[in-house]
Amino acid sequence: MTGTVYTETLIHSAPEAFVSEAPYQLIIVTLDNGERVTGRVSGDRVAIDDVVVLVEERNGVPFFRKHS
Amino acid sequence: MIGIGKTPFGVFPDQDIRSLAVASGRKALANAQVEPSQVEAFYLGNFAGPSFVGQSHLAPFIAGPMGITGVPCTRVEAACASSGSAFFHAFSAVAAGLYDVVLVTGVEKMTSQQTPRVAEILAMAGECSTEGKAGATFPALFAMIARRHMHQYGTRREHLAAVAVKNHANGAINPDAHMKKVISLEQAMNGKPIADPLTVYDCSLVSDGAASVVLAPLERAHEFTDKPVRVLGIAQTSDFVALDRKDDITVFKAVQTASDKAYKMAGVGPKDIQFAEVHDCFTIAEIVAIEDLGFISKGQGGPYSAEGCTALKGTRPVNTSGGLKAKGHPVGATGVAQICDVALQIRGEAGERQVARHEIGLAQNLGGSGASAVVTVLTA
Repeated sequence: MTGTVYTETLIHSAPEAFVSEAPYQLIIVTLDNGERVTGRVSGDRVAIDDVVVLVEERNGVPFFRKHS
Repeated sequence: MIGIGKTPFGVFPDQDIRSLAVASGRKALANAQVEPSQVEAFYLGNFAGPSFVGQSHLAPFIAGPMGITGVPCTRVEAACASSGSAFFHAFSAVAAGLYDVVLVTGVEKMTSQQTPRVAEILAMAGECSTEGKAGATFPALFAMIARRHMHQYGTRREHLAAVAVKNHANGAINPDAHMKKVISLEQAMNGKPIADPLTVYDCSLVSDGAASVVLAPLERAHEFTDKPVRVLGIAQTSDFVALDRKDDITVFKAVQTASDKAYKMAGVGPKDIQFAEVHDCFTIAEIVAIEDLGFISKGQGGPYSAEGCTALKGTRPVNTSGGLKAKGHPVGATGVAQICDVALQIRGEAGERQVARHEIGLAQNLGGSGASAVVTVLTA
């Protein structure tokens, strides 16, 4: 499943349960079917309008990476 | 509004949620020259007392020691708009003729928790099943709004920083502000990163504090005070909690609809608003708010702020109190505190921060990333 990055941020200051993962990138992706989802990024940082592909779901959270 | 009362905002290890709320409530009652026994209903705005301090059933818990018993005591929760919402419901009840003398208090005691736990509690005001699970924080949600605003309208880091510099300058002359520190644009541009592009200078403060007002019907107001402040228009509206459910995250639709309704009720337009307290939980939120309130067109809030239009001596001062950024943001207290700060200006009691034109002011309180909004237009 692919989509484009609608918006993103790199989180430095994390909530208690995520402190060990910081910094990590949070994104909202507009999927190709038009639906928007909130997810995380695996690998390289992405920017608005980048094309991303869904790589996995962890604990119900979609993880995307930059489409090569 | 026949009386107002606030505690200072800050870090108060010796004060608990009840002592803060009671102190502000007593001040407001004294200001209105009303005895606790005259209060016919009590509305409490509080976001997360149970999580922050481990106490529920907060409305009677606070009202009792103030000497208020035997009347409806109700807690209202709408994230950071909790006490704006409590004020709206108290106003509605008085306007409907249910009660004549009503006390509204907003309170939050936040500083007894460490920052990561505070972030976690605040994140519960977002969509926990998606945003929360992904590790979102409130700074992160507003950072995503900022990124999109920059992308769509060319808003720059300097514009965000200008809001922080201005609000810190105002806070520095507010004796009740949490942060009385002037900062430079350079400092604001180079703060510790929190969630890109937001730095620590873009974020409001974690504070303790409380604020209260006493409401009465207009026709009875002069029995209590010769300086009543009139609610000319007020509205509360809502939108989706999840940011990814909004078509355009550079717009707080709830703020637009609430301000449309409040302006209509007041019989005024955005041009008539001389000054305002807006919900600058993050610098970008002030920029989006002044656009959604119609002070400036969409996308122009950054340059408008950087040009000084919203400064204390500007054409339309915004957040003369220092805003959430410098005055502080005890979440549940904020909505009523904003209304108190607008009332202070209208009564001509704002001291060093008194604005020249102070006949008609506005308060805008936001919950979450825009799911709740309360807009209030006030006049003498």
